[in-house]
Amino acid sequence: MENFAYVNAADVEQVPSLLSDDWTETKMIAGGTDLLGELKEYIETPKKVVNLKSIPGLDKINADASGLAIGALVTLTDIAAHPTIQHHYTVLAEAAGSVASPQIRNVGTLGGNLCQRPRCWYYRNPDIICLKKGGDTCYAVEGLNKYHAIFGGGPVYIVHPSDTAPALIALGATAKIVGPNGERTMPLEDFFVLPDVNPQRENVLEPNEVLTEVHVPQPKMGTKSTYLKVRERGSFDFALSSVAAHFEMSGGTCSKANVVLGGVAPIPWRSVEAEAALNGKRITDAVAKQAGEAAVANAEPMTDNGYKVTLTQNIVSRAAMRLA
Amino acid sequence: MASWGRPENSRLIGKRVQRLSGADKATGKAKYTFDINRPGLLYGHILRSSVAHATITHIDLSAAEALPGVKAAIPLIEPGKRVRFEGQEIAAVAATTDDIARDALRLIQVDYDELDYVVDMEDAKEAGAPQIRDDWEGNQSEPRVDERGDLEAGFAEAAVEVEATYHAPVQTHVCLETHGNVAEWDGDNLTVWASTQAVFGTRQNLARHFELPENQVRVITEHMGGGFGSKFGPGVEGVTVAKLARITGAPVKLMLTRKDEHLVGGNRPSMTQTVRAGAAQDGRFVAYDMSGYGTGGIGSGAGFTGPYVYHVPNYRTEKSAVAINAGSARAMRAPGHPQGAFAMDSLMDELAEKLNIDPLEFRRINGDSDARRDRIRQAEYTLGAQEIGWHRRNRVPGSGTGVKKRGIGVGCGLWGGGGGPGTEARVTIHASGAVEATTGTQDIGTGIRTVIAMIVAEELGLRPQDITVKVGDTAPGLPSRGSGGSQTIGSVAPVIKTAAMAAKRKLFAHIAPMVEADPGNLRAVGGRIRTESDLRMSISWKEATGYLGMETISEGGEWDENLRVGDTAGVQFADVEVDTETGLVKVIKIVAVQDCGLVVNRLTTESQINGAVIMGLGYALLEERIMDDQTGKMINANLEDYKVPGTMEIPEIVSIAYDTDRKITGIGEPPTIPTAGAIANAVYNAIGVRIRELPITPDKVLNALG
Amino acid sequence: MSKEKEKDQTQGTSISRRSFLKGVGTGAVAASVAPSVLIDAETAAEAQMGEEITRAKIKLDINDKAYEVEVESRTTLLSVLRDGFDTSGNRVDLTGAKPICERGECGGCTVQVDGKAVYSCMTLALDAQGKQITTVEGLADGDQLHPVQEAFVQHDALMCGFCTPGFVVAAKSFLDQNPSPSHEEIKEGLAGNICRCGTYPFIFEAVKTASRKMGG
Ligand SMILES: Cc1cc2nc3c(=O)[nH]c(=O)nc-3n(C[C@@H](O)[C@@H](O)[C@H](O)COP(=O)(O)OP(=O)(O)OC[C@H]3O[C@@H](n4cnc5c(N)ncnc54)[C@H](O)[C@@H]3O)c2cc1C
Ligand code: SF4
Ligand code: FES
Ligand code: FES
Repeated sequence: MENFAYVNAADVEQVPSLLSDDWTETKMIAGGTDLLGELKEYIETPKKVVNLKSIPGLDKINADASGLAIGALVTLTDIAAHPTIQHHYTVLAEAAGSVASPQIRNVGTLGGNLCQRPRCWYYRNPDIICLKKGGDTCYAVEGLNKYHAIFGGGPVYIVHPSDTAPALIALGATAKIVGPNGERTMPLEDFFVLPDVNPQRENVLEPNEVLTEVHVPQPKMGTKSTYLKVRERGSFDFALSSVAAHFEMSGGTCSKANVVLGGVAPIPWRSVEAEAALNGKRITDAVAKQAGEAAVANAEPMTDNGYKVTLTQNIVSRAAMRLA
Repeated sequence: MASWGRPENSRLIGKRVQRLSGADKATGKAKYTFDINRPGLLYGHILRSSVAHATITHIDLSAAEALPGVKAAIPLIEPGKRVRFEGQEIAAVAATTDDIARDALRLIQVDYDELDYVVDMEDAKEAGAPQIRDDWEGNQSEPRVDERGDLEAGFAEAAVEVEATYHAPVQTHVCLETHGNVAEWDGDNLTVWASTQAVFGTRQNLARHFELPENQVRVITEHMGGGFGSKFGPGVEGVTVAKLARITGAPVKLMLTRKDEHLVGGNRPSMTQTVRAGAAQDGRFVAYDMSGYGTGGIGSGAGFTGPYVYHVPNYRTEKSAVAINAGSARAMRAPGHPQGAFAMDSLMDELAEKLNIDPLEFRRINGDSDARRDRIRQAEYTLGAQEIGWHRRNRVPGSGTGVKKRGIGVGCGLWGGGGGPGTEARVTIHASGAVEATTGTQDIGTGIRTVIAMIVAEELGLRPQDITVKVGDTAPGLPSRGSGGSQTIGSVAPVIKTAAMAAKRKLFAHIAPMVEADPGNLRAVGGRIRTESDLRMSISWKEATGYLGMETISEGGEWDENLRVGDTAGVQFADVEVDTETGLVKVIKIVAVQDCGLVVNRLTTESQINGAVIMGLGYALLEERIMDDQTGKMINANLEDYKVPGTMEIPEIVSIAYDTDRKITGIGEPPTIPTAGAIANAVYNAIGVRIRELPITPDKVLNALG
Repeated sequence: MSKEKEKDQTQGTSISRRSFLKGVGTGAVAASVAPSVLIDAETAAEAQMGEEITRAKIKLDINDKAYEVEVESRTTLLSVLRDGFDTSGNRVDLTGAKPICERGECGGCTVQVDGKAVYSCMTLALDAQGKQITTVEGLADGDQLHPVQEAFVQHDALMCGFCTPGFVVAAKSFLDQNPSPSHEEIKEGLAGNICRCGTYPFIFEAVKTASRKMGG
């Protein structure tokens, strides 16, 4: 990795002023488990790296009646082990616990998890300049795309690697962002952007903006949620496909289903089709099966990833049955 | 004649003895080549071709040389020459820190004149594909044809036939300590700390390269972080680091990066074979017609076994290698066998099913082609079948109910591993009572150090920890073979044993007059020397050696063929669970019944079997070098996308050492052979759809299930 | 695939294979060769907020011993442990933690930072300031091995031993959190480490034994 100037940020407000408005100039570091991988491969060669860990207060979880406020610096270990999150926001605890390995979860932060860059093997290869890196070919299109997108692809076909993002979106979370012009808040769902909007980025952040906090509304009584992740290598691996399911239940029927898929699209992929198949239904085997089928009705597999269609269909049904 | 004696007379041999280097390894004290920090040490790195095939037109090292901290920058290829795979060496640097060395690589300007490349075996075979090897016509080697019996007649006799194509991928060794060396010159004397399986082989190679007498080169391998067949010589990196050290006049460490290791550290060639085979109604395997090939990258060899293990009277095989623009194959844990075994055992099950015979019964009928092995193998079938619960398998494959389906399968292997002559060793007894055993082998993690101590201690009536074992150094001038082919123990143990016997005889002869005993009557037991007839005469080991005064006993040994045995047979059973909704295969249990000859250290033998099974499991389910057509690169040259088994993949492993022989044999390789075949057969038994291509990943399972 | 095919695919694009290759070797290393901003240990310890550091003298607390080392911003904790010098010119020489992947994929470099297992290859030395770092060398009490180390030796949970220091530290940290784990929990707790020799089954046994010895 190339050397850089390292700067400790004093507080959230200072961060935008420490960051350049040019992506190549500056980067932020939280746990560093993703950033250092990029720097070591020279995918990024920033002149300056701004340390967020020096900002006090961003490593807190606050749970109250309004819901859950999680600072960007909270580690995945802390999220997975938090009793309130385990009980009332189960999908999030399970998702955080499924990320990478214990060592990475011990330092990897929520902010870093949501803002991490793609794992596409063309992207991560220092000798290949693909579309995402400013080149003009997405090698996944004609190449090895076993791990790539079956939804929302084009012109690039990455899958979003984050496990916590689908969970948080299923829970209806909002993101707080601080930039040069102050603070803005938006549904986390709108935070992520498809490549046809911006092939080089995965979210709305400007180079000098920082994600500071995620807020999750308190789930209604009787909601149930779960995260189901399938990985090729059980010990640690990114998802081949995952599903975050969060159902509001009333008297045995699912009054409102939130189904968000991971590992299958360039952004966490809300399956409105699966949700429609579940809303207002009592969840039976047949309904769960329909939800699975609906989830993949509009899938557009590439040459090597057709299996993800079957896989996703099956795990959507499985997740639904788990919450039945 | 020397013998290992009767089991009831062994105090140590066959018991569970803790590895002598255990505490050093568990505390971080053990120093590997990667850990050698010499005063004034420089760090080396190699710039490698980023393209698969090109003519190098120009290399400009000036910017790298000008970088503060860089002490040397040298080209490793002449302009005008071709690079033939991603990763081929282009230039090297030495600098004061590792980071600076890496910075320097990025400052080297290389001009490539790119050539067409081919990284896919099938494409490489086509006419008009870019020519990779100068010594071949086209990219496929002249097929080697083997024939036996009368194939036509065999097929005429066949009641059933199977025709199938099996494929196994390229597997890389993934030694956790990458290849590399630390080199230091003192005048014309070169010392190299090497991560090698062969200190003497490495010495010979380096001496030749630098035109030095061998005794001016010393190679040291105190601890070594995994080789699996890939570390027998200094390699380009070893010669390079010695050059850099000479130029800079300083010690230099050059260890490959993880990516380098995948690209150039060696690999197991792939295999694609198409086979037509027939069996008679009574279950006899009667005909086998196979043609296949594999790729060893730019290397020339890609052999695999077949027919394998079972008795096949009539066959014809045609095997060849296909060159592609990728890193060269090297020997890898039982070269040629796991790929051959996977295909053969899959085929056996396919035939058995057509005959409607139990697959195990079908194997029993077509016993091992070797009589001794067959006797052992038949017993192993019984043991293993019982342990796995063979009766629980699905009579009708895939007939289990539910989403997660269980299945049971069997696979076989055979291996040589008897060792051979050529090892010199000394056992030295000092007046202080200290005992040393010295030889030029190296402990690459197999536990040979502990085995040597056990053998000497058994002979001298001492404890293993009383013996100082000196291995992994050429300086004493006691050569031994490279640690490969499961040959180490069979080569070393007999020499150590006879050296210890000789040293003991000498000691007894020396002290017999002092204790007024007949030397033939003396025994070394429990740290004491006593006479057999008169139990009152007993002196401590130290008292006894004290009589040596100024003298030291140091005796050599001789290799004795009767102390070792080769040709082992192994059988494994796998119990798996396939999630038919996710395609995930979970191995629940592996039973490995392995012919082990005489087990010296039962603890480390079990470790070896576990480890071999786990590597076989990775081969079956996870591992594959993936070459990208569009860029000519290995696209998964890391440990994220090249997936090796981790804790969650580990099944229950029951290792049964089948040790009926009182002769020693090596066990590093044989137990990795049967695993993939057993797992593939178990997967079939679970889901009723055969997957003929490794690794058996969820995409293949889901696609197969349709 | 042939170069011809390759060309077809990239037709009409401005980037040829040649130029993307060029884009690689020429990366500027300006930052690493630029004159560095040196600040002394005292100021570094509480480096001014907003101050740019490219090189600094820092203090690290490793195995209850204070080390003063000079690092670049990019220097990892792993590289300080293995290859660093203190400011009096002595090697730190704690080579127990191993560089196996250097990308957070293998666990060979695991150390404890403030009681938690982390990958030292993915930790900047600057970020380890003011924290308690424990390496595999810091676990034994003189000649008395830590129960985890003892159990690893007893069960032969090591072959070549190259992965062992990482596993030992990971296992120790895991038992600190979960003193009496189940078999499945042990597997999950050690999922961030790789052993190519395949010592896993005996590692699981060793962790169980250590757990019993430690009163878990
Ligand atoms: C071997 C391996 C396996 C992995 N497996 C998984 C997995 O299974 N699932 C998964 O989800 N992830 C996985 N990861 C990715 C892992 O890095 C993240 O999960 C981790 O949470 C990142 O957090 P961090 O704090 O370390 O991020 P950093 O590396 O510090 O940052 C990541 C990126 O986000 C930016 N960033 C960080 N914080 C903020 C912020 N507050 N505002 C704006 N930008 C910010 C950084 O600039 C950087 O670009 C894996 C990583 C590795 C190396
Ligand atoms: S999917 Fe994205 S990152 Fe991967 S090759 Fe295509 S453009 Fe690059
Ligand atoms: S070397 Fe740090 S995780 Fe592999
Ligand atoms: S003991 Fe060799 S890698 Fe684990």
